[in-house]
Amino acid sequence: MKEIVVASGKGGVGKTTVAASLAVLLNRWGLGVFTVDADVDAPDLSLALGGGKTVFSMEVAASRKAEVDSKKCIGCGKCLQVCPFGAMIKTNDGKATVVALMCEGCGVCKLVCPAGAIKVKNAPTGTITVEETKYGFMCATGKLRLGEHNSGHLVATIRNLARRKAQDTGSKVIVIDAAPGIGCPVIASIAGANYVIAVTEPTPAAKRNLERLSRVVKHFGVPAGVVINMSGSSGDFETVLKKWVEHELGFQVLGEIPVDYEVVKALAHMTPVVDFNPDAEASKSLVSIAERVREML
Amino acid sequence: MRAKSRPPVIAVTGGKGGTGKSTVAVNLAAGLSASGLKVMLVDADVDGPSCASLLGLKLEAGKEVKTFLPIIDEKKCVGCRKCVEVCPEHALVGLQGEVPRLFEELCSGCRACQIVCGHFAVREGGKTIGTIYIKSTDGITLVAGELVPTEPRSPVVARATVLHAMSELQNGGYDLAIIDTAPGVHNTVAQPLWVSDYALAVTEPTPLGAHDLGFILDLTEELELPVGIVLNKADIPGGLKNELLKTAHERGVNVVAEIPLDREVLHSYMAGIPVVKKAPDSPAGRSLRYLVSLVGKMLEEGKI
Repeated sequence: MKEIVVASGKGGVGKTTVAASLAVLLNRWGLGVFTVDADVDAPDLSLALGGGKTVFSMEVAASRKAEVDSKKCIGCGKCLQVCPFGAMIKTNDGKATVVALMCEGCGVCKLVCPAGAIKVKNAPTGTITVEETKYGFMCATGKLRLGEHNSGHLVATIRNLARRKAQDTGSKVIVIDAAPGIGCPVIASIAGANYVIAVTEPTPAAKRNLERLSRVVKHFGVPAGVVINMSGSSGDFETVLKKWVEHELGFQVLGEIPVDYEVVKALAHMTPVVDFNPDAEASKSLVSIAERVREML
Repeated sequence: MRAKSRPPVIAVTGGKGGTGKSTVAVNLAAGLSASGLKVMLVDADVDGPSCASLLGLKLEAGKEVKTFLPIIDEKKCVGCRKCVEVCPEHALVGLQGEVPRLFEELCSGCRACQIVCGHFAVREGGKTIGTIYIKSTDGITLVAGELVPTEPRSPVVARATVLHAMSELQNGGYDLAIIDTAPGVHNTVAQPLWVSDYALAVTEPTPLGAHDLGFILDLTEELELPVGIVLNKADIPGGLKNELLKTAHERGVNVVAEIPLDREVLHSYMAGIPVVKKAPDSPAGRSLRYLVSLVGKMLEEGKI
């Protein structure tokens, strides 16, 4: 079983578009696909695949949150000084209270509280839902609670679950749609995976963030290829970008997807573009990219 | 933290990635600066910073963001295991009577170990996990935070960036700060929203844009932060503008500006010059200038 991660340093460059179409194509070619949405902050893969029927869901409660007993609090302010996350604030009556959104549950406030007014309690982290898509394969989605921080844990949990379920269903490929950026949820998606598809667009900001992503990918020793989305929009810069990817980053360019409004229309219809309009220019590029991925598998 | 004594802070956020947050933030900063205001622009998307690229700036010689890492003094440690027991991340491991071993990548820098050690055996160590750059251009001061690649703790770097910016804002004679946030609704985004007085949620008329906009509106509601929606790529072929307007209406949030799809946005992106300067009379340039005047008016009237 192989885990392929679709990632990008910059947001909105087309991760979900690539992941959805890749999953549909590999599945169509009989590889047995299981999909994972590891963008636990703003999961969209299931939507892009047209939604599905929920077959499984679970709560993950791996977080901890501090709580202040205002009757016991003496208002000494020690917890405010030590909280590394700025989650302790003083209320109008001079007592401490926790901003749950900011609290990471480390418990240092409890350690320094001379009045024994603080407790650290278990708290929900997020949910995992597994849906059966209209294409027959599964899509497991993680959704982090608002402002929650334990994204790495949730991603690790969902990846474990996906591996087990994929084994049960005889799937050969797990396609993971990662979060944008290079932080905790992305590291948790990439570490130990078999291949990373880094999606980018031909702009200086995307190039810079691709370089940042490449450092994470190399750190974890995962092989990677680059997809240049929205190509044909920026002339010379694109040629420079391709050369830079191959020579400086040392990654192969898997393909380029041209600017094509069929992609937007497909999104509006919540259908991967390769299924929505197989003759679209973007679809043809995606087929050739998926073929290259299949060869590698 | 929302001290009314300091200049107003506007967050540019939106949920989904790539909707145009940085484009809006940079153009707002450039437009307000051109109208005579002293503007601080804060890039708090520490995972994937874009503001410097959009302003054509090269960042160098920043200030390091460090987190605490314990160094166990072997001479002082009595092997009581108190630090091992209290570590919330299980980053310290050791048996009774042994000097504990630190698994650096797990440590969150919370100092619980240092607080409980009764023998002063936990010494001050540090690790650089990010950098804060400050650079001025054309009346805008950019404060940009960047996470060191392979480090996972983006919220800590975002928080350090925001706190640094807020202390500069207090003392630097600025008229306002604009914070460009990361995509999503996690802690890295919550930190800048927490210090803001008003948020602009930039979205696009696709099901994904609408879906993720819902998340960011949940977060601004939770933080009781006033918010306006900026609908970017409003007329994208095949887009779902009406559905998005409906979502906004249902949530009781105003769409304060619409920006049409315009190649000038890409051109200015490539050139590292804000649209309001490079192509002020292009369709997107006009919309962005309208947004600038709207925000300028809100500032004047004390609504932000």
